[in-house]
Amino acid sequence: MVSKVPGLVRYIVVRGLMVIPTILVLYTFVFLILRVLPGDPVLAVIGTRYIPPEQLERLRELAGLNKPLYEQYLSYLLGILRFDFGVTLVAPQGVPVWDYIKLRFPATLELTVAAFLISVIIGIITGILSAYFRGTILDESLRIYSVLAYTLFIPWFGMILQYIFGVKLQLLPTGGRISPGVHLESITGLYTVDSIVTLNLSAFIDSLKHLLLPSLTLGIVLSGAYTRLVRNNMIDVLVSEFVRSYKARGIREWKIALYSFKNAFIPTVTLMGLQFAILLGGAILTETTFNWPGMGTFIVDRIEYRDYNSIQGAIIFFALMVGLVSLIVDMVYALIDPRVRY
Amino acid sequence: MVLGLAVSRPIVVGVAVIVLILLLLGVYYFYVRAPTAPTTTPTPTTSPPLVKRAEQIIVGVTDKVTDLDPANAYDFFTWEVLSNVMEGLVKYEPGTLNIIPGLAERWEVSGDGRVWTFYLRSNLKFADGTPLTARDVVRSIERVMKINGDPAWLVTEFVDKVEAKDDRTVVFYLKNPVGYFLAVLATPPYFPVHPSYKPDAVDSDQTAGGAGPYRIARFIRDVEIILEENPYYYGPKPETKRVVIRFYRDATGLRLALERGEIDIAWRTLLPQDVEVFRKTPGYKVIEVPGTFIRYVVLNTKMPPFDNKVVRQAIAAVLDRSDIINRAIFGSGTPLYSLIPIGMMGHLDVFKDRYGDKNIELARNLLRQAGYSETNKLKIELWYTPTHYGDTEIYIATVIKEQLEATGLISVELKSAEWATYVQFIREGRLGIYLLGWYPDYLDPDNYMYPFLHSKANKWAGSGYANTEMDRILEEAQITVDMSKREKLYEQAQKILAEDVPYIPLFQGKLYIVVREGVTGIKPSPTMLFFYSTVYKEVKA
Repeated sequence: MVSKVPGLVRYIVVRGLMVIPTILVLYTFVFLILRVLPGDPVLAVIGTRYIPPEQLERLRELAGLNKPLYEQYLSYLLGILRFDFGVTLVAPQGVPVWDYIKLRFPATLELTVAAFLISVIIGIITGILSAYFRGTILDESLRIYSVLAYTLFIPWFGMILQYIFGVKLQLLPTGGRISPGVHLESITGLYTVDSIVTLNLSAFIDSLKHLLLPSLTLGIVLSGAYTRLVRNNMIDVLVSEFVRSYKARGIREWKIALYSFKNAFIPTVTLMGLQFAILLGGAILTETTFNWPGMGTFIVDRIEYRDYNSIQGAIIFFALMVGLVSLIVDMVYALIDPRVRY
Repeated sequence: MVLGLAVSRPIVVGVAVIVLILLLLGVYYFYVRAPTAPTTTPTPTTSPPLVKRAEQIIVGVTDKVTDLDPANAYDFFTWEVLSNVMEGLVKYEPGTLNIIPGLAERWEVSGDGRVWTFYLRSNLKFADGTPLTARDVVRSIERVMKINGDPAWLVTEFVDKVEAKDDRTVVFYLKNPVGYFLAVLATPPYFPVHPSYKPDAVDSDQTAGGAGPYRIARFIRDVEIILEENPYYYGPKPETKRVVIRFYRDATGLRLALERGEIDIAWRTLLPQDVEVFRKTPGYKVIEVPGTFIRYVVLNTKMPPFDNKVVRQAIAAVLDRSDIINRAIFGSGTPLYSLIPIGMMGHLDVFKDRYGDKNIELARNLLRQAGYSETNKLKIELWYTPTHYGDTEIYIATVIKEQLEATGLISVELKSAEWATYVQFIREGRLGIYLLGWYPDYLDPDNYMYPFLHSKANKWAGSGYANTEMDRILEEAQITVDMSKREKLYEQAQKILAEDVPYIPLFQGKLYIVVREGVTGIKPSPTMLFFYSTVYKEVKA
């Protein structure tokens, strides 16, 4: 382990620096696309309502739309370097984008973590069972399950769950994060965590009920990806030399399964990290179906309004999150895979 | 061998998959298509059920609140919220088009129509007990003028100066005499706001409110807004103490929430198909509100072939409004033959008188006159926007295409663009014929005619229409105070509209409120703003 540390530190620094050009390219790309897209923040909000032409010009001035493009580009970029994501241009105007991110990101984080856990648990269990009982009807059914699950169209699947559990069985709410009138002190922004920390049992149960359907919808769909991956990697390991030697030595079945799994886990971690990072951008389909006030719905709304600053800020934030998560994944990778050296 | 049968495994697995799919389809068909009646416990038939009023009512909407500041709010739903937590000097009597005293108990107009004096009621207070005087009225209106936000023109186009003569007297000096000033005065930019509002800037998340029947207890942007009764309101207490407004993303989410019982009222934006279903479901009531919003076709008089008046007239003649209403929007509209809505002063069915509906004969004659034939058809691109006015827009466009092509002399290509893009194209004058809608700013024929037909005011519409005679008539109608003279002027203007056809009115919308059984007291208003203070819900005690 000692030999790994300085190499690891250098690796982290290098990866950290690589984020900068990534963000730059992404920002430039988004900036240009937004400016090429017809419509601007003022028009998107005014629409066809009557407004005197001088007033329209004044509003465009306020939103900084009359400044030359390179100036708009540079001033926002310089802001990002100071961790200033700018202010919203419309509806409402002048609210720091960072305030919105602080408000909406915890919602996405809560949903992402819950869905992620569900998808990993289901995926790994089905993958292991599939691998262990390979060739049997169980294996075939689980593989079909994984394909079906991954192909499910989230809004449709979500609506079915909303209908069955929300409307027919009246068990769970159809949307939102918490029932109106339930008071919860906000510390982390993660309702389930906050309610535990403040020992608020009713809020905990209420927020958990709201979290269940969306995370189940997203979790089931994503689990499909893991099943096959875990299965195939486990099979590779199960038929390998070292497992056969374990069997020959008479080591018990469940121990063999455990060792095989630890080895098969490595490629899975990569996929897990990638999926988690992408989810942090706001699982847009899930959030819009379940009226979940996270980053996904935020970006969709802001695109309708052509709120350039909010869209740019949210996307850059997302890129930073993806960079961070993939860095963590790589570090975990390094720690659990003894073959990796820096 | 599987299960003792001599059947190969792939077939068994395949059959299992098919069964699974059929199961899912069955679930979808039986459960998702039809809504459920809300579950109610059966009441014993011996004694009458005891009822009591619910403390709280939950309203579901798919709109958003933009700025809780009348100096900048210019969208329909925010105006509705502001109209419940604030009040103006005058207001509309619930359910009617009559203007009645609000914060002002009476008023006077000078002989030349330029000076309006309002006398406030005594003992007015904001929602936290702070006294409301004439100086607050003046401060609020001057604030709107200074901040100069989106709706500021409603003040600055009319008002030159506003003064507080004393604690209870407000005087407006208008730029020109305006016959419909009271209608304009009833709009939110004129509402007095609490002193906490930032004096020089838009205060979008400010919850201090004004002096209306409710006050804002809590506002979580894009999630919910909670209103509670204002203890200091001068008028009658609202029927329900607490109103929660929940924001939903789309009509389907709204419908599901209503069926689940998460909301008591679904306001306006349910799909017409869903409204039909609720009509037939016990446990729900559908309330129809005659809307004052209009839908129409715009023709770009500067772009060939629409620069030819005869072509525009031909299109006006062909359209069959009832057909569109029945087939495209499930009956949720009334045929409209003028830009001025039915029921408003001056309304004339000019398009009906001149062209009728589905007048294919006349259309074909006009088109031939313009040089078109079966081999040389009029080729047009009909544009619409797929979500802004609701999901039914594509149906409207499709029916119109069918109607136009039925003449045998027109060939139509349908095109669409998302709202912000659509608006940009229109303002740039790039579209030739397209569908639009209009929600009024204030209820007066001026608001339905001037912004469309006056050459200085109609740039937003992209019709490029300019007619000096029309300009003159509209300007005169604005400053005439005599109502019958104004009516005559608008009748003249409508006749010119039907002759020049820069716009073809299609229908006047109907709004639907779907409520759970037990919800009463909804008084729909022609302003289409929903006043919550008369609503209550009766529940079993």
